[in-house]
Amino acid sequence: MINTVEKIYDKISNNFDTYKLTKTDGTICFVPLDPDNTDYQAIQEWIAEGNTVIDNPPE
Amino acid sequence: MALSKIDVSNMLDETLPVAQGGTGVTSTPFPSNYSPNLNFRNAIINGNMSLAQRSTSVASISSGNTIHTCDRWKTYASSAGTWTQTQEALTTGDAYNDGFSTSLKLDCTTANGSLSSGSYLQIAQSIEAQNLQYIKKGTSNAEQLTASFWVKSTKTGTNILQFVSLDNTVRICAKSYTINSSDTWEKKTITIPADTSSTGKIDNNNGEGMRMIFWIAAGTNYTSGTLATTWADTANANRAVGQINNADSTSNNFEITGVQLEAGNSASDFEFLPVDVNLDRCSRYFTIPARGAGSDTTICNGTMYTASEFYGVLEVGKKMRAIPTMSGSTGSNTYGVLGDASEDLTSSVAIGRTTNEGVVKCRVNASSVSKTQGQAAWLRFSSGADSNSFISADAEL
Repeated sequence: MINTVEKIYDKISNNFDTYKLTKTDGTICFVPLDPDNTDYQAIQEWIAEGNTVIDNPPE
Repeated sequence: MALSKIDVSNMLDETLPVAQGGTGVTSTPFPSNYSPNLNFRNAIINGNMSLAQRSTSVASISSGNTIHTCDRWKTYASSAGTWTQTQEALTTGDAYNDGFSTSLKLDCTTANGSLSSGSYLQIAQSIEAQNLQYIKKGTSNAEQLTASFWVKSTKTGTNILQFVSLDNTVRICAKSYTINSSDTWEKKTITIPADTSSTGKIDNNNGEGMRMIFWIAAGTNYTSGTLATTWADTANANRAVGQINNADSTSNNFEITGVQLEAGNSASDFEFLPVDVNLDRCSRYFTIPARGAGSDTTICNGTMYTASEFYGVLEVGKKMRAIPTMSGSTGSNTYGVLGDASEDLTSSVAIGRTTNEGVVKCRVNASSVSKTQGQAAWLRFSSGADSNSFISADAEL
């Protein structure tokens, strides 16, 4: 179960390259931007349901 | 006669090899139940439950869809009691006598004798689509499938084994089997018909082609129709008709092992694989490249990108089904960054830039440490880390 999703930016290139996914049980995982990854698919469904991804892009 | 050439043409049609200029051998080297595709005929991975990379015991399972113990076997649970799942070591019984040393066991710890309409409890394995092309599902040449497995359950009565294919039109097929004796290992064999409907075709890709589902409890949403004993477009009411409620008592256990799914209408002996082969097959979907099974366990080498930011590259292992989701344990002082003759501790790492070309690699970043910029450093689980700390890579279906 997804609790929060946050965009993670590469601190070197400043590119968005990973989602940080926090589940309701507190588990934290790092999800690649790969359409074949089932966590990535779940995040896209979660977004489509109207949920908001935390986005704090680097300055 | 020196044997210089072998005529392989008749090997290909499954008759016996003949040396050119010689005569055929007079006895077959194959067992009497020889069938084509003898090797890797089992579409199920880790069917003997011998590998449990995540854990061997997990308590308080009551919801979610997660692999808890045995690799590749996912538990789907909702409002059907609370369970402890274990990879069980077998020492007696007919399954043990048949060569199985481990099983997947569910032990009901909180009963639910009055299931809600949407209740369910399932143990299931998803099969990668490209591994199922040979069954030709969705064509006029589609194969029948035969499942065989050992099961031990406290509660006697009817249980359901169900299949679902998810590409194109979602299609289901289910068969019942009966537990005849309480808490006794029983071998079951179930054949399901071929699916010749073109809407049931399985795509040739790395997605989920088919799921094999052992129902353990089912609410009326899944039992109120007519069991789909031939392939049909999905209808929840037809998925688990007749399923008994194994969640109705804390005395109940449900245990399986020796699960095999193969083409054809008969079951061959279970295909035992060497442990390294089974590990390789499971690691396409999940692996643990670092575990803190003791203090000071290496994770990766790297460098201090800044005075407070360590970056390293962790080589996870062989190419996986997809770019994996990476997870790392968290907890006070779980990780240590060593360099400059000292260790700085931190509670978590961030993992990104994961790649899946040839081998899986990822970037590991530990923040809030204090070293000298540009210095080489080494990331490990610290001596104070929980011994179960790990970094995992998950590309499950």
